[in-house]
Amino acid sequence: MSAVEGDENESSANALNSAGNNEDNTGSARSGATNDSEDGSKVVFLLKAAGGAPILKKKKWALPRARTMGHIVEFLKKYMKLDAQQQQQLFLYVNQSFAPALDTTIGSVNDCFSSEGTLVLHYALTQAWG
Amino acid sequence: MGNASMDDGDITRELWQSRIPICFILSDDDMSKVNRSELPEPLYLMLSRHLYFPCFIEKIFRYYSTYYKENLADTTNHLSIHNLWLEYESIPLKWHYPIGVLYDLYTSSLTSSTCHLPWQIIVHLSQFPENELIRFPDRESIEAYYMSTLKEADALKHKGQIIGDMQKRDHKQLWNSLLQDKYETFWNINMKLMSYTDNLLYFRYIPYRIYLLDRPYLQKLFAPYDSEHDRWMTLNDLVQYSLNHELHCEHFANGKKMLNTNVNDYQVIIHGVQPPLHTPVQWLSEYFSYPDNFLHICLVEKRT
Repeated sequence: MSAVEGDENESSANALNSAGNNEDNTGSARSGATNDSEDGSKVVFLLKAAGGAPILKKKKWALPRARTMGHIVEFLKKYMKLDAQQQQQLFLYVNQSFAPALDTTIGSVNDCFSSEGTLVLHYALTQAWG
Repeated sequence: MGNASMDDGDITRELWQSRIPICFILSDDDMSKVNRSELPEPLYLMLSRHLYFPCFIEKIFRYYSTYYKENLADTTNHLSIHNLWLEYESIPLKWHYPIGVLYDLYTSSLTSSTCHLPWQIIVHLSQFPENELIRFPDRESIEAYYMSTLKEADALKHKGQIIGDMQKRDHKQLWNSLLQDKYETFWNINMKLMSYTDNLLYFRYIPYRIYLLDRPYLQKLFAPYDSEHDRWMTLNDLVQYSLNHELHCEHFANGKKMLNTNVNDYQVIIHGVQPPLHTPVQWLSEYFSYPDNFLHICLVEKRT
């Protein structure tokens, strides 16, 4: 799982968050700063524990846009060394509210739900938000 | 939209009632393992476009498993509802896409003949494609997925305020009336999700997904009204923006097939029809969404 890296360097994460390209051909009213991975670089996201899940030492991660939520789930199962039973129940939540289907790309989750330049995902071993 | 004999409520009712006739055929491989002299006939079902295949998996499995009665105890046979999967033209069907979306996307794109009804789907009882598909879930998991999608839609439309304020029994009512085909009961609750908040006369962002063959669906932030230019955004605007944005993102990725961003090269299909491209997306979101409150839009390249 070498594709998921911890990004220890704050300033490189900030470079990803820079305003970048906001031109909009159709005049759509997009509002708010976004974690701009539109130049093809990686999506940076924070993983936070919920519902009694083990806390990760490394909280900030980066992935290419096309990686899926399922990819993150599989990675976490191994990284956290979950036992077989725990592995059945690993959930990833966005907005502390909903769990996207596992084939959803991190790129589209980021485009829609990053807030003030950061995408936060919560992982839990129970259905913390249903 | 100028038709005097039909109002918007009639449209939602029409959509609610739309069904697809499906012919389920057992795969050759599984057919060969039937140990009765009588082979299973195809199973014909008329299914709602906005439901999900797992809602019917027990019915389908029950039908075919009667042909394997003597084999059920044989553990080497791997005959189990958990191994059931559906295929169309070699494509394993994802369970979490509404039935209508799968039909519109695949039958328009893949089959050379113009008549696709009844929709012929192959039922597999073995050799589950682990790498391509997640196993069909139980009823509770589908319900959980449906609720999750509703929450996501509300997060986009209203920052989650409306669904967050609803009672649990309202959530249950939405799902149950969907399963039980109760239009009035469904819309009693759903209309709250179609209302406005924050002194706006429209949703903050439109919940939508655009499906194309051979790539993950597109989902972006798109506001239905451009206050700067006092302009309602149209279906054409939404599709064009999404294609442009996606191409821009892909531009730097290697080895990707170039996305065609010319809207006119596609049929834009929602619920099996092609709405006029000048339709305001706010209207579409209110009246043409699926019961999960998303606009599921299939882009099918026009044949030259």
